[in-house]
Amino acid sequence: MMNANKSALGIIFPNSHDALVPELVNVRLMASIPFASRYRLIDFILSSMTNCGINNVSLMVRNNYHSLMDHLGSGREWDLVRKNGGLTIFPPFADKTNKPFVGRVGALAGILEFLQDQKEEYVVLADTNVVVNFDFKALIDAHISTGADVTMAYNEQEIPESVLETTSNDKGFYYTFALQDGRITKMYVNSKAKGIQNFAMGIMLIRRELLIDLVNTAYVRGEVYLERDVLLHQLDRLNVQGYKYDGYVARIFDMKSYFDENMKLLDDYNLDALFSEAPVYTKIRDDNPSRYIAGAKVENIMVADGCIIEGEVENSVLFRGVKIAKGAKVKNCVLMQGTVVEAGADVEYVIADKDVTVSAGKELKGTDTFPVYIGKKQKV
Amino acid sequence: MAKEMIAMLLAGGQGSRLYALTEKLAKPAVPFGGKYRIIDFPLSNCVNSGIDTVGILTQYQPLVLNEYIGNGQPWDLDRLHGGVHVLPPYQKSSGSDWYKGTANAIYQNISFIERYDPKYVIILSGDQICKQDYSDFLRFHKEKDAEFSVAVMEVPWEEASRFGLMVADEDDKITEFQEKPKNPKSNLASMGIYIFNWDILRKYLEEDEANPESENDFGNNIIPNLLRDGRRMYAYHFSGYWKDVGTISSLWEANMEVLDPEHSGINLFDSDWKIYSRNSGMTGHKICPGAEVENAMITDGCRIKGTVKHSILFAGVKVEEGAIVEDAVVMGGTLIKSGAVVKHCIVAENVTIGENAVVGAMPSGDESGVATIGAGVTVGDGAKVGPKAMVSKNVEGGEEV
Repeated sequence: MMNANKSALGIIFPNSHDALVPELVNVRLMASIPFASRYRLIDFILSSMTNCGINNVSLMVRNNYHSLMDHLGSGREWDLVRKNGGLTIFPPFADKTNKPFVGRVGALAGILEFLQDQKEEYVVLADTNVVVNFDFKALIDAHISTGADVTMAYNEQEIPESVLETTSNDKGFYYTFALQDGRITKMYVNSKAKGIQNFAMGIMLIRRELLIDLVNTAYVRGEVYLERDVLLHQLDRLNVQGYKYDGYVARIFDMKSYFDENMKLLDDYNLDALFSEAPVYTKIRDDNPSRYIAGAKVENIMVADGCIIEGEVENSVLFRGVKIAKGAKVKNCVLMQGTVVEAGADVEYVIADKDVTVSAGKELKGTDTFPVYIGKKQKV
Repeated sequence: MAKEMIAMLLAGGQGSRLYALTEKLAKPAVPFGGKYRIIDFPLSNCVNSGIDTVGILTQYQPLVLNEYIGNGQPWDLDRLHGGVHVLPPYQKSSGSDWYKGTANAIYQNISFIERYDPKYVIILSGDQICKQDYSDFLRFHKEKDAEFSVAVMEVPWEEASRFGLMVADEDDKITEFQEKPKNPKSNLASMGIYIFNWDILRKYLEEDEANPESENDFGNNIIPNLLRDGRRMYAYHFSGYWKDVGTISSLWEANMEVLDPEHSGINLFDSDWKIYSRNSGMTGHKICPGAEVENAMITDGCRIKGTVKHSILFAGVKVEEGAIVEDAVVMGGTLIKSGAVVKHCIVAENVTIGENAVVGAMPSGDESGVATIGAGVTVGDGAKVGPKAMVSKNVEGGEEV
């Protein structure tokens, strides 16, 4: 139990890392990418916050956010319809002289007045491309006990091969740390180091007053990114602590990892690791249960409600309302909401976006290293 | 602000013919069709028909039902003015009383109805599976300038004597009512769904209450009194799917019909007439390697490693390796351990069926029946539960029931 004035407020950046998956964010943003058969990426961080008593959550949307607004509605499903706090969506602010914000500094500079008016002592900042069922209470406890100015969550994992191979910086930034007794002594931007790294998860905790100070100063100086431009240069002045997270982490950093992280949840061990900690809430669609018609042949699949399956499906993740007709074959696929695979079609290693139709008898095959992506509402 | 029509939903029935299933919950709260409870059907019908004010009359074991209804949000019935209200019997200055009959239950809530000053009141029953447009029923009621209308279904003549029957002329005007008669004059069975003009209903409720001889029942008292006075009474013909799920076998049958919407006519895949329910919030279900699933309905949170055929599984059911589930209705949170065989039966919520246990059997020769396991029961490893068994207490390992 926490005094309502001592707790933390949450700020989520739904557009950050959009550039990693250009296909998927064509009609949406990172936060509203469908994941794990019935969720969107934001459900995980948002549910984690409400499960930990963070009931004042702001979303700093930048562009393409209609799908997110539709998904969240009033925030009721996350129990975020509150008298105090609740869900606030800040649309981007722009005028003749200002372009819509870039980076966390720009985003936060636009809501300084709001931040000043809040009561919570701490602020939790988070992105949505890292899927976790996160215990923010433990993060806050660690922050208080270490007397840190800033606490950044990380997990120990290798930087993915495909990220190491890219030479340009146009996909944005990721951060790794060197630690000494828990304190971050060095922060690396887009490191190419091999082996296990202390890999930042985009989740950080900071005292609200300090955040306002840092953003104020940084914004005046024209600085953009909180980690790269502000914290990285003040590691000797500020006590920035690392908080090691040992739970299940699914990172989306390209189409391949999006596909793989969905597939990994077909393993009960991973599924339980991600979901057993605390409930994950999502928008309710009131679909009926899924129906397997006589003749269906299925193995190793995860399926949401509202599906009708008559054909063969193997090693696949099916979102809500997917229809697999008689004689159709689906193998190693991620099929989003409303996908229809017609009679006799044969698909393998395919990511189908919402409301895709694969016509009767068509054959479509990607490979495990390069799944084929079909855009929203396309008919193949 | 006056409402044109509000609904009063009779949900107090004990449902004693559902035995083990209704020991701890009222009949309308009995799970149905994979993710619903029976009451979701009338409630969703109300919302889909444009009725935004519903009084639910509860009496027997109301806890689960109260919690389930909550503020009515899943049915979009959390409204500023109106919405859903659970109405248990309450204490008045004149004393307190249980609801003595269906009419008395409404009588005791006259003040609730008056708050909305409705022109019409529709009386619904909380123990039927039916998708019905009440706005079309009201259109009929208005067209006929009726004071009372009842929804009726044509039933086969040979079964007619099991029902309350409405005898009507070619204009659908009711001339006679026969309650389970030996010699039926009609095959129009009352569905127990009525529309009243509120002034008429009120008048007859008060008159009925003043009569100490009355059973305070709509079928036995109110309707005969309306007929006696020559009120304008009409029969509205309904021809869609309708099932009273008051017995174990009819409940099992109705669930099986959900699996075959093409023939049974009960289609839950209707985006124009959704049935709303309180969701489990579990992850998508999983069909694991080695599992076999055929002709089944499966919902969130299920994990299937065994064989599931022609069955309905509710949220969070786990079927382990080698287990066989066939012709079965398995309610939420139940665990069926490896090697168990579960056939032709209803297994209630949060049951554990032990390894290699056998529950129910396909009908054969003189052995037929729908085995029923009550909520929270544990059936021990290797135990055997016969096809006619009704189990509400734990069954020890190896025991035969």
